Amino acid sequence: MQTATENRRWSKEYPELGTGPVPAESCISPEYFELERERVFRRTWLNVGRVDDIPNAGDFFVRELAVCKTSILVIRGKDGVIRGFHNVCSHRSNKLVWEERGTCRGALACHFHSWGYNAQGQLTGVPDEENFHDIDKSELGLTPVTTDIWEGFIFVHLGSQPQETLTDYLGGVAEQMKGAAFHKRTHTHTYKVEENANWKVALDAQNEAYHLPFQHRYSFPGMFVLKDNRYLRLSGVKLYNHHAVWSTTYNSESTPTPTGALMNQLNTATTNSRLPMLGDFDFFVIFPNFVILQFRGIEDDYYMTYNFWPLAVDRCIWEIKFHFPPAETAGQRLSQEYLKHRICDVLQEDAVAHETLQTGLTSRAKTHLILQDDEIQIRHFHKVLEDYMGFFNGRGH
Amino acid sequence: MAEVSLPEPFQSLEPFRAWALATERERRAKRLSSSMEEIQAFYDALFPQLEAVVAYLDQFPLDQLPAEAQPLYHLTLALVEVTSAVELYHHPHIFEAIEPARFRRVE
Repeated sequence: MQTATENRRWSKEYPELGTGPVPAESCISPEYFELERERVFRRTWLNVGRVDDIPNAGDFFVRELAVCKTSILVIRGKDGVIRGFHNVCSHRSNKLVWEERGTCRGALACHFHSWGYNAQGQLTGVPDEENFHDIDKSELGLTPVTTDIWEGFIFVHLGSQPQETLTDYLGGVAEQMKGAAFHKRTHTHTYKVEENANWKVALDAQNEAYHLPFQHRYSFPGMFVLKDNRYLRLSGVKLYNHHAVWSTTYNSESTPTPTGALMNQLNTATTNSRLPMLGDFDFFVIFPNFVILQFRGIEDDYYMTYNFWPLAVDRCIWEIKFHFPPAETAGQRLSQEYLKHRICDVLQEDAVAHETLQTGLTSRAKTHLILQDDEIQIRHFHKVLEDYMGFFNGRGH
Repeated sequence: MAEVSLPEPFQSLEPFRAWALATERERRAKRLSSSMEEIQAFYDALFPQLEAVVAYLDQFPLDQLPAEAQPLYHLTLALVEVTSAVELYHHPHIFEAIEPARFRRVE
């Protein structure tokens, strides 16, 4: 797709979103944050990992979902099925598994009185069972959490009765990514940054290309300044019911650094399956807090994910994962390490901005965000959020 | 424990063995604790040979690198660690970024 030259084109395509300023209160109000726990995070599908994180029977990981005040155990059963449970013992509600990940060999035993559960979440052992009063172990398994899988991504839903299936929830965004061989791009690196920023401030800051030529002038000089598109206008925007994708191009003619030039010549790992992409760089926001970033590479494409995990109104964890095709040689691995290193520089610049933004917002010197046309996806995100929250339209407070 | 020597064609890199670190955490710590002169000297020694080093390493599958190739491989990863410091920032740190320790590699 060619670069946009027409001014304010996206608002013409999505006039229902309006063009006015967006209230910033949602990013600083403790009351708003408390309501988000129920109205957003218990009413949406949340990505918690990938099937490749737990490839074998008994493999598990634990997710601390502070925003939902719970800990989730995701485990692959002996039958191969991946299930999610509240990580809570049926006896007296002790937190069952304390490790972040591992493998259940036989049983998961509670640290308190050693009640044991198998990889399907069934209660299998109760020490001194005869001394209890009429307990039925078959009714005392772990409490399940609604769990489903899309393209290898594991999602949970903490509401008692999800209103939409995961497929319906993802809607057009799943269509857009159909055929993306995510499973062939294995996970290589995970980073976490605990930030003094509201989770939406961090997400909004990532959710546009306008800042790239400016904020990343040191880490990628010239890369985001195109001859016919010096402000890096977006090449594509698609806004769905809950989710969005936008895309942009790079300046492939910008002079590479000496190492960059050499890396461009190295043979790279390939999966022989390109990702279906809108542009050179696609940024998918899966509401509320999950992002898939797809990058067009010379010989093959790779992707990253972000999860923004709220901790408090002004604190979150930004979790970043890289997924490259498996490297078979040192040269392939090196070119991936190089890309990852350059991107991590950018992300470390981004992280500092998340906190300076939060500082500015918290001062209440300004009450609204002013958004340009190429920030329409941020406007859309806040519209979707408000649809769940109803905060500014009367339901809140 | 005696260290294996670097492969014959690359023995000129022996003075930079301290950069042959197996983990990203160690390589990052090394960059951040080195002076720009030390970083530049390492870069100047390895970069002109990088193509040859990669060609040598690429004779082997990555998961079957022989013992003497391991430190050489780690040196190439350390080069990537310092490349922006040398080619872009002329400084060991990124400008306008959070403290490096807060950007944690966890897996």
